[in-house]
Amino acid sequence: MTMQEDHKDCFVLEGKMALPNQYFAGRLGSRFLIAIRDRKKIMGLKCNQCGKTFVPPREYCEKCWTKIADNWVELGTEGELVNFTVVRYGDRHLPKKPPYILGQIRLDGADTPLVHIVEGIDPREVESGIRVKAVFAAKTTNTIMDIDHFEPV
Amino acid sequence: MKMHAKNRNVAIIGIGQTSFSSHKEDQNQVEMVQEAVINALADAGLKIGDIDCIVHGNMELFEMQFAPDLWHSLGTGAYGKDEYRITTGGTTGATLVCAADNLVASGLYGTVLAIGMEKLQEGNTTGGITNMADPLWFRNLQTGALTGTTAQEMIDEFGEERAKRAAMRYRIMMDKHAMLNPRAHRRFGLEYSQMEDLMANSPPLVGELRLIHMCSQSDGACAMIFTSEEKVKQGTKNPPVWIRDHIQVHREETIPNLFGFNKPEMTHHCAARTLFARNGIQDPVAYFDVFEMYDPSAWWAVDWLREFFLLTGDEHLRMLEAGDFDLDGTIPINPSGGVIASNPIGATAMLRPAEAALQIRGDAGGHQIKKEVRHALASGFGGTFWTVLMILEKELNWQEVNHD
Amino acid sequence: MTEYFGTTVADIFATMPKRFKPEEAKEVDIAIGYEATGEGGGKWKATIKHGTLKVETVDGDLTGCKTTIHTDAETFVGVTLGKIGALDALSSQKLRVAGDPKFLMLLLPKIFTPYAAPEKKPVAVTARDIITTIAERFRPEKAEGVAMTIGYDLTGEGGGRWTIVIRDGKCAVRGGLADPLTVKMTMEAKTYTGMMVGTIEAVTAFTSGMVKIEGDMAAAGATAKFFRKYVVPGATEAEELISLRVTNAIEQRFATGPVMGRWFAGLREKKFLANRCPKCGRTQIPPREICAWCRVRVHEFVEVGPKGVVTHFDIVYFASPDPLTGAVRDTPYATAYVVFDGSTEREAVTMDLKKEDIPRLKEGARVRPVWAEVTTGSYRDLIGVALDEQEESL
Repeated sequence: MTMQEDHKDCFVLEGKMALPNQYFAGRLGSRFLIAIRDRKKIMGLKCNQCGKTFVPPREYCEKCWTKIADNWVELGTEGELVNFTVVRYGDRHLPKKPPYILGQIRLDGADTPLVHIVEGIDPREVESGIRVKAVFAAKTTNTIMDIDHFEPV
Repeated sequence: MKMHAKNRNVAIIGIGQTSFSSHKEDQNQVEMVQEAVINALADAGLKIGDIDCIVHGNMELFEMQFAPDLWHSLGTGAYGKDEYRITTGGTTGATLVCAADNLVASGLYGTVLAIGMEKLQEGNTTGGITNMADPLWFRNLQTGALTGTTAQEMIDEFGEERAKRAAMRYRIMMDKHAMLNPRAHRRFGLEYSQMEDLMANSPPLVGELRLIHMCSQSDGACAMIFTSEEKVKQGTKNPPVWIRDHIQVHREETIPNLFGFNKPEMTHHCAARTLFARNGIQDPVAYFDVFEMYDPSAWWAVDWLREFFLLTGDEHLRMLEAGDFDLDGTIPINPSGGVIASNPIGATAMLRPAEAALQIRGDAGGHQIKKEVRHALASGFGGTFWTVLMILEKELNWQEVNHD
Repeated sequence: MTEYFGTTVADIFATMPKRFKPEEAKEVDIAIGYEATGEGGGKWKATIKHGTLKVETVDGDLTGCKTTIHTDAETFVGVTLGKIGALDALSSQKLRVAGDPKFLMLLLPKIFTPYAAPEKKPVAVTARDIITTIAERFRPEKAEGVAMTIGYDLTGEGGGRWTIVIRDGKCAVRGGLADPLTVKMTMEAKTYTGMMVGTIEAVTAFTSGMVKIEGDMAAAGATAKFFRKYVVPGATEAEELISLRVTNAIEQRFATGPVMGRWFAGLREKKFLANRCPKCGRTQIPPREICAWCRVRVHEFVEVGPKGVVTHFDIVYFASPDPLTGAVRDTPYATAYVVFDGSTEREAVTMDLKKEDIPRLKEGARVRPVWAEVTTGSYRDLIGVALDEQEESL
């Protein structure tokens, strides 16, 4: 038996799903954000077993599962742009208008790259390997955007 | 190949829980999940490298977070491993156990870690539940899990006084169990002498369903580790708890047609009768030593005891009134305090087999049943009255019956 | 002085003489330099000679020290209190020792009793203290458009009666209980204090009967968000924990399909169109493509109603917000389960009941639909049902 092909009554209802949400950074996440916000410092957590320093911070080393929650390390506010992409489309949830550079920055002292926006260089000219430095936001929001962006040194 | 026949038997060898509360501001979701996983690994005496596969679940979008398993991979240990995400509403925790059981029983994986979690403080629970309804028709009418129809049915059947006392007695019994469980979220210290006062004064939510009858909304996570018979023979840190059988019964989405002039068979009843028949269990009240039942409210709990144990008339009320369901009774219900005491939804249905397994191991601590627990029953509930039901055993000695 | 872990670097040095154990230091002859960088830090020199101790601050270089400890202020306090492992700090280079660290680690615990952060004495707080100052913590931006009078009857020691009045973006506290009140909460004064200070969870207090509510329950639940949290004066600033609140709104478009579309077309004509399963004969309402029990397609539409019978109903006292609009309904409201005339006996559908009819609602009552003035083919065409009382009187 086939589906009824009668579509005369079909229509589309416009709706919305709006739900409130609260995100908790946790103790470690809060320390990380507060260090950026209040002291303009970027902190990582180091695993002494693996010798690896993670940023943003996490409670346990992902490789050996040692608890590293108290092993804070101050990282530099400069680093190497190890990778990047150029965002060329606009959408209201994006932080910037296109085109803008989204980069992976390996800060001095860190083993993991931090994702952030790179400004002050033409997207057509940006290359991996350049050194960039953090520019802290004047107005803070308790988010990673308390670093406003990175720019070439 | 016979249906429901396993390729090999599966045991629970590790159980980990976080505490359950409404305030976990000092942990983010990853950290909370990892706490349960680390507890489970420690309980099993294993390392994350010993796990072959992860099954992860919670209520979809309850924290307004899509695909949280990806975010949680730092905490679940899923990095570099096979992972399945399972989300089936309130039954999620139990379905995770079914899935883990199936994955090990199939022979495809040796040791599987199942994780159920919820951080309700980060979302909006009732909003999430009402969102499940058909957006065209039912959504604006939904009150989520709040309904007083069962209470009214019980009042119509047994009389107002007896029905209300039964629901309240059950509620206080759950609190007494929760007081013995340090991980439970809500522990009020209620006494039976407060029955009349609570019956009259607890704020009514819907009909006779009052605030005191309803389950909590908690944050927390539960993790369990499953492995095969072969691995168990090589030695385990704790005594294994065997999963004998499980069943899931769903029904259509439209709840109102449970409340017409008469009811179709409830999924709880269908699950129980099918599961017991194919396992040759004639008298579930006599057979089982404990039942960790998913009890979203005291009224539903009392009603469903009749369904699950295939009782008739007022047998369940007489058993409740005689103390048969107490911790030292013939068939204790929810020694952990049940869903009423702690409800981190994505984990809640996993806590039922987890707590049942702890009872079998003799490890439950303050809320341990004193008599030996060899046969346990655990249920999950969710969605539009779906039921998951499973049987756990202390020893690998049951007879296969019929598997049609 | 900048605090770390509840105390200061300076306090550690200030208490050194008190913690010194001269009898353990008889053979000791050493000068130890300390450099703690960063806020709240500084330089100190501890000279221990034959059972005596001299501790002094140093402005210039640390000279004449056999061993010097270099770290930042936070790590120094953390290691001293045991919050940070000394070995970890050494491995991570946050703590550097010029000289022999092992010697220091053996010596220091021997000649000093361990430092403990000074205990903050808890301040005794009464319910009166808290409630009479509540207007200071009022958040007018959270109370826009709100007008309510909230009465508190706090019994027992430290209690009393107060009314909080919120209106036009302002908040005032008056002694006594006003009349009328939007809501009145009765509880022991110590319960109130516990809830405000955070030692008693509000939901627990409400649910377990420690708080009696008369009046608008929803208002009782809403009061918390109008006020900032009470902070006990002199309490240690709790570690700041960051959270972000966001309401994510996602637009959605729902397609009806032909079957549901037909249902709505029926509503537009003030008709209820169920569909009948060819196998079991039940009338599915609203109509669905398939009968879930029989697993067969359903094609035959049948008109049911317009009137029906209430088989069950819920009187709802506590409304959850509508996820589509965020609005919270007026309570109490009633949801009736209605089997329309011509339907098979199990197939009930839920309907809102006209508010005025609630007191007379009974199982078995007959109801009739209440339609919107203008029907367009949406769920809003059907406002709900009302008691069909003329029929009952026949």
